[in-house]
Amino acid sequence: MNSNHILTGQEERIAVETNAVFAEQMKHFKNSCDEIHGIESNLTTIGNEAFRTALLSPGRTIQTDDGTEWRHDFDLSKITSICHRRIAGKIEFAVIECLSLPTGEAKEVLNSGHNVRDVLREFIRDQKQILNLWKDDVKAQVSEHLIENYPHQDMSYVVESFEAKMERVISERQSLAQNRSRGMRV
Amino acid sequence: METENDAQTQTAAPPAERLAYSVQESADMLGINYYTMYRLIQRQKLKTCRVLRGKLLVPRVELLKLLQTNLM
Repeated sequence: MNSNHILTGQEERIAVETNAVFAEQMKHFKNSCDEIHGIESNLTTIGNEAFRTALLSPGRTIQTDDGTEWRHDFDLSKITSICHRRIAGKIEFAVIECLSLPTGEAKEVLNSGHNVRDVLREFIRDQKQILNLWKDDVKAQVSEHLIENYPHQDMSYVVESFEAKMERVISERQSLAQNRSRGMRV
Repeated sequence: METENDAQTQTAAPPAERLAYSVQESADMLGINYYTMYRLIQRQKLKTCRVLRGKLLVPRVELLKLLQTNLM
């Protein structure tokens, strides 16, 4: 595939129409990217804050579905938070997800460890894999949409341009996060 | 006089229950956001299948299973 291909007039028109069809999904995708990269940008601050809270404040108790008890330190998003517990004099940190489903709430430990920054880094790595899964699925949906609407026509460049758009959403935010994170270390 | 449309209405069978849904349709039905759906899929809490071009489909039976069982 030629990455330098410039879309023809017809491809451009179809790309605009495709963007409109998938606009709602792109909005959600961008919001999720912002959320993750917001955490990544402030990883040091969040880590320090969680550590400080763990030392100073008991925090409210959260019992996960596996029966373990944690103390809440810091909300990462609407459904994820950093928590801690003490085991044999050591503090263990965890990212805990509280997911509301029609049947009730599920509380699960996503990542855990003694170094809060490592726990956060692992969490961010996992979240980026989820974004990639999402991106690949949307790309497949775009392909399907174009095949249904423009049968017997090669729409691969339109699919490619849509995928590139999603990759830009991820990479632009990642660069911002890395720049902010570097700035903080200085 | 019976029109063609009336005849179609009388003979039309109820729409068959779909066997699978897209991630977005599934999220809307469960009342959770899209990202959470992909989280559940990535963590294999929700089984999916891939159709042509790699699009993810969530079998109806998996959605029902998710609602009936605890996530753990």
